[in-house]
Amino acid sequence: MDKFYVVIPAFNEGRVIKKVISEIRKSGFENIIVIDDGSDDDTFDQAKESGTVALRHKINRGKGAAVKTGIEAAKMEGAEIIATMDGDGQHNPGDLGNLIEKIKEGYEVVLGARTKKRELMPLRKRMANFAANVFTWYLNGIWVTDSQSGMRAYSKKALDLVDTKSSRYEYDSEVIREIYRNKLKFTEIPIEVRYTEYSMGKTEKQGFLNGLKTVYKMIWNILS
Amino acid sequence: MSLHLYQIVIAIIAIFMIYQGIDNYIKGKHHPTILKLLVRVVVWGGMAAVALFPMITVTLAKIIGIEGNLNAVILTGFILVFLMIFKLLSAIERVESQLSDVVRNDALKNLETRNPKPKTRRKE
Repeated sequence: MDKFYVVIPAFNEGRVIKKVISEIRKSGFENIIVIDDGSDDDTFDQAKESGTVALRHKINRGKGAAVKTGIEAAKMEGAEIIATMDGDGQHNPGDLGNLIEKIKEGYEVVLGARTKKRELMPLRKRMANFAANVFTWYLNGIWVTDSQSGMRAYSKKALDLVDTKSSRYEYDSEVIREIYRNKLKFTEIPIEVRYTEYSMGKTEKQGFLNGLKTVYKMIWNILS
Repeated sequence: MSLHLYQIVIAIIAIFMIYQGIDNYIKGKHHPTILKLLVRVVVWGGMAAVALFPMITVTLAKIIGIEGNLNAVILTGFILVFLMIFKLLSAIERVESQLSDVVRNDALKNLETRNPKPKTRRKE
């Protein structure tokens, strides 16, 4: 398990990041890289105190940029499998094992689909996810059930081939495009998502306007 | 068929943009996809077609139900504004991307300090 790394992009997650790290460790994973994406709070210090590899973006560059930094860092550490998960505690680290298993079975990318206990997902979020899936399918050529999920795993081959340039939330869809472009073998597995008051508060910040920005960026990436 | 200056200019710009798209696609630059290339050909090809054969707009106007022709000045102005916005947004995207790279390299410096790369031995 030495060559397996968990990458966590984090922006203003100082309240929960220690708990997220502790949960990952309890699930048996020690190699954790946290990228503080220019937070205003103490996310970086909290991550560092937890004994993880903590890196800091001096200014906020977005989730996509933070994940890319984390992946670069993990590659420098010699990672052979990398999983990414959000820093707000919405993902259950217990699902990481299933992602790794699929990579070991021969898949190059494993996408966590937030379909376990889907009924707990607020209706407006389900609708927004569906719209994002449709846009992703139309613009990138692959239909997936959760194009915006941050919990994913990549094999070494995928890490070498996937080349993204998006800095913000459109990153998640760009990875789907890279899967299509590089003809990578991928699968989706159901994962649990925990809608706490905290994570829902974060979700509010990624509302309708940001959704439109993401769609605009996806279209722009096609046109430019 | 006599051509006005604006028609020649638009046709040249369109040919250049389409050529650039095909070149990017063949050389694999800037994440090329067939969809991206098709969009570029349709958008710029359409502009060139309207500029070179303005009567298309009359047919188009009849098809979509709007009577009357497009004024060449408005069309040229629109194309110029479109071109400027396109280039401006491209420049912003490029700068944003470079900024991310600078921030990333700075963040990764800390990791390099932790895991220094082995020094290559100089040949005697």
